[in-house]
Amino acid sequence: MVDATTRFFESLNRRDHEPLLDKAAGTVRFDLHEGAQTTHWLLRVDRGRLTVSQEDREADTVIGTTPALFEEMAAGRENGLAAVLRGDMTVTGDARLVVQIERIFPGSPDAQGPRRLHHREVR
Amino acid sequence: MGQSNTIRILDGNTFVVSEETGDIEATPTEPTGLFSLDMRFLSRWVLTVNGERLNALSYDDLQYYEARFFLVPGMATHYVDAKLSIIRERAVGGSFREKLTILNHDEKAVDLEIRMDAGADFADLFQVKDEILNKKGELYAEAESDRLRLGYRRGNFVRETVISSSRPARYDRNGFAYSVHLEPNEQWDAEIDVQTFALGPGGRDLRLGVTAHGNERLALQHDLQEWIAKAPKVNSEHDRVAATYRRSLVDLAALRFAPLSLGGQTLPAAGLPWFMTMFGRDSILTCLQVLPFAPELSKTTLRILASLQGSRFDDFRDEDPGRILHEMRYGETAAFEEQPHSPYYGSVDATPLFVVLLDEYERWSGDVALVKELERECRAALRWIDDYADLAGNGYVWYERRNTETGLENQCWKDSWDSISYADGSLPPFPRATCEVQGYAYDAKLRAARMAREFWGDPAFADRLEQEAAALKERFNRDWWVADGEFYALALDPDGRQCDVLSSNIGHLLWSGIVDHDRAEKIARHMVGPRLFTGWGVRTLAEGEVRYNPIGYHNGTIWPFDNSFIAWGLRRYGFAEEAATIASGILDAATYFDGRLPEAFGGYPREQTKFPVEYPTACSPQAWSTGAPLLLLRTMLGLEPHEGHLAVEPVLPVGMGRIEVLDIPGRWGRVDAFARGRLDLHQLAD
Repeated sequence: MVDATTRFFESLNRRDHEPLLDKAAGTVRFDLHEGAQTTHWLLRVDRGRLTVSQEDREADTVIGTTPALFEEMAAGRENGLAAVLRGDMTVTGDARLVVQIERIFPGSPDAQGPRRLHHREVR
Repeated sequence: MGQSNTIRILDGNTFVVSEETGDIEATPTEPTGLFSLDMRFLSRWVLTVNGERLNALSYDDLQYYEARFFLVPGMATHYVDAKLSIIRERAVGGSFREKLTILNHDEKAVDLEIRMDAGADFADLFQVKDEILNKKGELYAEAESDRLRLGYRRGNFVRETVISSSRPARYDRNGFAYSVHLEPNEQWDAEIDVQTFALGPGGRDLRLGVTAHGNERLALQHDLQEWIAKAPKVNSEHDRVAATYRRSLVDLAALRFAPLSLGGQTLPAAGLPWFMTMFGRDSILTCLQVLPFAPELSKTTLRILASLQGSRFDDFRDEDPGRILHEMRYGETAAFEEQPHSPYYGSVDATPLFVVLLDEYERWSGDVALVKELERECRAALRWIDDYADLAGNGYVWYERRNTETGLENQCWKDSWDSISYADGSLPPFPRATCEVQGYAYDAKLRAARMAREFWGDPAFADRLEQEAAALKERFNRDWWVADGEFYALALDPDGRQCDVLSSNIGHLLWSGIVDHDRAEKIARHMVGPRLFTGWGVRTLAEGEVRYNPIGYHNGTIWPFDNSFIAWGLRRYGFAEEAATIASGILDAATYFDGRLPEAFGGYPREQTKFPVEYPTACSPQAWSTGAPLLLLRTMLGLEPHEGHLAVEPVLPVGMGRIEVLDIPGRWGRVDAFARGRLDLHQLAD
């Protein structure tokens, strides 16, 4: 079974075009640190077109966190901006890209969304 | 909630609130301190000389970022004998700097023990009015040979205050001290630097590289001069209008705020001291108010709000795709998700207002590129209105929070718990739909239709939006009209029952254009009628309603921002005299506050109190109060972009005398507007 992190990056790679990132351009490297080991994911954004690799190359923005926290974010259970404020995720380089990329993470699987009246009546 | 006897200086969201002596002794009732990133970095900052507290002779808040205090030892009863003067000069700009100067006026030499008590409770802004008892993390204080470090650590969340001095001092965990020998007429000074740090695990500061302008005092001064030079000049026969304008312009400069991670672009924060952050609603409405004077704020506000537009469902943050945020915070409670502001999306009006601002901005600036750049976000906002806000499925915009613990109950601008009621005073169930938001949605659709037709090359979408707007207007005029009182209901409940109270909200409907023409005069008459209009302005809730209270936060006080939009609306429907009546009342009130209108003031009749009674806990300066005089000027001068040029059609009361606004920027380059008061307001009252 593949983890949510891998699924997340693979889905980005498959996405032909991500409209939420239409205005973004640059590279973001995610460094997931666990002890002495670091896993890298490199996301290249070119006006909505996305490419993912696992290269450890220089990037405009470097985001550092643990694989566990990233897994929760990829599954929609943790919020990236709150994690940055908490210091559980670090950002080096162009911070604007972080705000843009945070928005393509999924929402919570438990979210109910707007509560429409007629739904309530059905229950 | 700022106390009137506190001195406040700020730069962005770093600010200092202190007593008249410059001291800080924070308590829940006097929440003074040095604040940054929504946390308190100093809660104690008390200067003593030979163990004695100091007494204030005077103080100056020179600019929004600097203040000066003149002090003498001892209490008021014997300061005339003082042989010492102490001057504290302070500024914020990146860090907080204070220069102490001590002068010995005695004919004898003196030996002085100068001490500053320093402490930090690292309270979150949301906690400053509570006793700070159970911080979840660990507070620490480390005295080093050349600095005092005060810190707070909770997991990876670290905030530090580092205090150092230009002269050697003795540091201990509760402050620092100097021993000074002064000959007659000798002077001593020391510069103290207080830096605030928001550190991540690698010791990197969260804010690295993010500043709106240089942090140094000179850079701030230069920036302020440039800001004022760039804005139109206002001259008036009576100095008060020009003075209010100048005050507003400087306050607006102070309220500019550069959010983290957005490259130093600035937008208006909501208000000092407790709302130095971005608010969707406040920032947008302020931009609308000041468009003729500071159009560049609109561009950055639209871009920043677009970059944080909702993209998924998040029940904790009340986030939906397409929704524009309500409030962003950076403190501990946001970081640890004890509060939802990272950011919080619980606002029902920011989303339609986002579309309204983009269109209005283009009409002034001709910045078609931005309209094209934000097409996707505009479409997402319009989808939110139709898909996610129509909770009752009947074509209106509703709100009901999903975060029932820390979310906002009322998500319209009147966001206090009891602001929406039926005529019998009881509160309706949820979801609720308030009238002014339906107007904003109507306006958003029509304005988006214009943008779709002219700039997005999508006439079919434009047609659809216009049809939807027309249907909404018809529906609204049917369902919301209170036949007995001849006004629109404040709100509808989920069964379609009207909250049939007379409120200021219906004034916004004129601004949005959703009012049927044959009803407009009735609304205009209410606006300047005795139940709503006090002589100073329009009350939030009419006298005679069960919940009316002249100092009820949203149930009877007068909000200058509210009035500015009402006046604009009256003007739109051709009620220039009624608009001028309101404009004149609010501008008169401004003179009682030295040109700085508070968030709200009492809804007492003008002839009863003779002066406007400030609402006890009002926040000041507040962005949309600061913007109000600017929108009122626009309204009275009848400034309106029209086919590429600026139309000017002034209607001023006689008492205003002559007013000229020079160098109004826009797609026309820069043009001047001149006006003379010719309107006799007494005729209106008869």
